[in-house]
Amino acid sequence: MSRHGLAHAFARVAAAAALLVAVSVASGTGALAAGQELGKVLPTRSPEKVYSSTCGYCHGHNVGPIIRGRGLPVETIEYFVRHGNGAMPAFRPTEISNTELKALAQWISQAPVDAKEHGQ
Amino acid sequence: MSGISRRDILAAGAVGSSLVAARAFATPLDGTRMLPKRMSRSTFATAVKELQAIVGSDWVFADEESTVSYRKSFIPDLRGEHVPSGAVAPESVEEVQAILKVANKYRLPLWPISTGHNMGYGMATPASSGQMILDLKRMNRILDFDAELGTILVEPGVTYQQIHDYIAEHKLPYWIDVPTVGPIVSMVGNTLERGVGYTPYGDHFFMQCGMEVVLADGSVLKTGMGSVQNSTTWQAFKWGYGPYLDGIFTQSNFGVVTKLGMWLMPQPPVYKPFVVRYPNAEDVAKATDTIRPFRMNNLIPNGVLIMGALYQLAMFKRRTDIFNGTGAIPEELIKAEARRNGLGMWNTYFALYGTDATIAATEPILRAAFEASGGEVLTEAEMTGNPWFEHHKTLMRGGMTLEEIGLVRWWGSNGGAVAFAPVAPAKGAETAGQSALAREIMNKHGFDYAPAYAVGGRELHHIIFLMFDKGDDDSSARAETCINEMIVRFGEKGWCAYRSSVSTMDLVARQYGETNRTVNARIKHALDPNHILAPGKQGIA
Ligand SMILES: Cc1cc2nc3c(=O)[nH]c(=O)nc-3n(C[C@H](O)[C@H](O)[C@H](O)COP(=O)(O)OP(=O)(O)OC[C@H]3O[C@@H](n4cnc5c(N)ncnc54)[C@H](O)[C@@H]3O)c2cc1C
Ligand code: HEC
Repeated sequence: MSRHGLAHAFARVAAAAALLVAVSVASGTGALAAGQELGKVLPTRSPEKVYSSTCGYCHGHNVGPIIRGRGLPVETIEYFVRHGNGAMPAFRPTEISNTELKALAQWISQAPVDAKEHGQ
Repeated sequence: MSGISRRDILAAGAVGSSLVAARAFATPLDGTRMLPKRMSRSTFATAVKELQAIVGSDWVFADEESTVSYRKSFIPDLRGEHVPSGAVAPESVEEVQAILKVANKYRLPLWPISTGHNMGYGMATPASSGQMILDLKRMNRILDFDAELGTILVEPGVTYQQIHDYIAEHKLPYWIDVPTVGPIVSMVGNTLERGVGYTPYGDHFFMQCGMEVVLADGSVLKTGMGSVQNSTTWQAFKWGYGPYLDGIFTQSNFGVVTKLGMWLMPQPPVYKPFVVRYPNAEDVAKATDTIRPFRMNNLIPNGVLIMGALYQLAMFKRRTDIFNGTGAIPEELIKAEARRNGLGMWNTYFALYGTDATIAATEPILRAAFEASGGEVLTEAEMTGNPWFEHHKTLMRGGMTLEEIGLVRWWGSNGGAVAFAPVAPAKGAETAGQSALAREIMNKHGFDYAPAYAVGGRELHHIIFLMFDKGDDDSSARAETCINEMIVRFGEKGWCAYRSSVSTMDLVARQYGETNRTVNARIKHALDPNHILAPGKQGIA
């Protein structure tokens, strides 16, 4: 294991300890954001994270139309993600899992408009 | 093609799913999932069952609806020549080995992908129909990050976004180098295609160090220092001992790469991006001749892009924003539109990395040379807020963006783009010649020439995105003819592609000569006698 790997392992132990304290004191506050650990697969991501690291690079950012704040139906969103459309690639269950997609579609459907976003 | 328009879906509203179910197979192609050549339905079904036993039934996709996301691509495919039979997605090396055993048993051809976003080259689709996609995206572990050496060891499914996030979260003093589409693509997939980026580490295969490959017979090869017992050097020394093997597993079908090592660039204290604007189409020769010596002596250290005006405009605009007539857009219109947007006909993006003192020492030398060649040298002082400058500023520091994909919708909402990427020596006469030939051929077929030159050291990749309308069969047919004509006529002048779409692999492979093909065929036969791995990849059966 590399130096960093070791440092990381230590950090994990420390984080776990911190989490225990945090859980007992303030039910979870202070826990680290769930990023990816060395040697582990990417954990299930929140809808916000999937959006900001995939959809948000195009939608509301010069390439695709704004999709938040329009109350788009959940099924419609899921359909576009799996099929792609024109310049939009299709995203497979291996990259956006069914669980992630369900939560993402619901989140987008209900999300308010973000003033920082603009159309194509 | 889904055979169902965006408007239909949006109009369907909450009942969208029933509409989708009823109409998803509306085109003839969608209705005929392609089986592997010479394989009966029952054999295919048996193989699928065995694959399900290995990876679980959730991770085998072998019906119309579940394979839809593997069929999507931006390139023309009028005759359904790149339709996969399905997909299987392992999560470990052991599962890959077990899948290969099944594939050998039934002669099931497998097309490996890492993230399968090979955009403009066929996305995840195979060189011939019926192959099953071996989707390695679930294998997305970052296995090692050595913070002293700045090296990383990753699995195929790791995206540049994941590495970007890992570095940010752990505050590591390194940069990654990305293709212009970093967030959704793979460091392994891109490097195996010998892709390029725009920091000083832009030649990805050059910066690769050590790989693990599962061969068709299930044996696991670690290249370089990787097979030495107790090795601590796998990601530090590329060449190992004896013949250097890594190269034969890039742009190839000789094995399934399951791990890859890369070097990362130490984050510099100061980063300064530049653009050099040239006003005329002919100026590409001057730009090339000015850059070359600085790339050779490394005063300009990064992968430089010489961006044509139309490539730049196409990112953020649609064709109808500029032109409503028929045929290619007249040059004067492009020039005027470029000027309105703070762009030249050619826009050269480079950057300096170092300290204030080293940059202050280098900058005047470069400025003087570019200005003498007729270029206007601009920096953040003048260009902040210009969307194109901001885009390249992001790229030349390995940042995350997908903005360039905008060019795929140039002709409208159906999208359509296929890449032709010939290489040339970095000499003015060569770029001028290539640009003239490409423009002539593309305009003849009714397409706009939207060029970019990515300058390596002594060579450049001429990246030509042929933008067409995939929703229009006539446009698709012309795109196909046009790409083929470009490949052939460039080839006559000794200019060949460094990489190609799945639809033109054989055509390009022929240009590299019979002996070359025979040697590849002999290696293939030795390593994969049943030809189960990606038949047709780079013209290797
Ligand atoms: C607008 C636009 C801009 C682009 N800009 C760039 C750019 O700047 N630089 C650049 O390089 N590309 C660029 N591309 C092309 C492409 O999208 C990227 O190269 C992308 O990284 C390739 O997709 P991927 O990483 O998902 O690889 P994949 O699609 O996963 O892999 C590509 C191919 O490599 C082989 N392969 C992949 N993984 C394995 C494996 N594990 N074992 C064996 N064989 C394997 C397969 O043949 C596969 O089809 C651009 C495309 C578009 C549309
Ligand atoms: C590479 C850019 C890109 C990415 C990434 C992308 N999209 Fe899209 N998407 C587009 C484009 C372009 C369109 C519009 C196609 C057209 O012109 O009809 C679109 C259309 C859509 C639509 C239809 C909306 C409408 O008004 O037409 C939905 C819904 C959608 N995308 C959802 C998503 C979600 C969810 C994600 C993330 C998982 C995502 N997209 C990722 C480019 C992208």
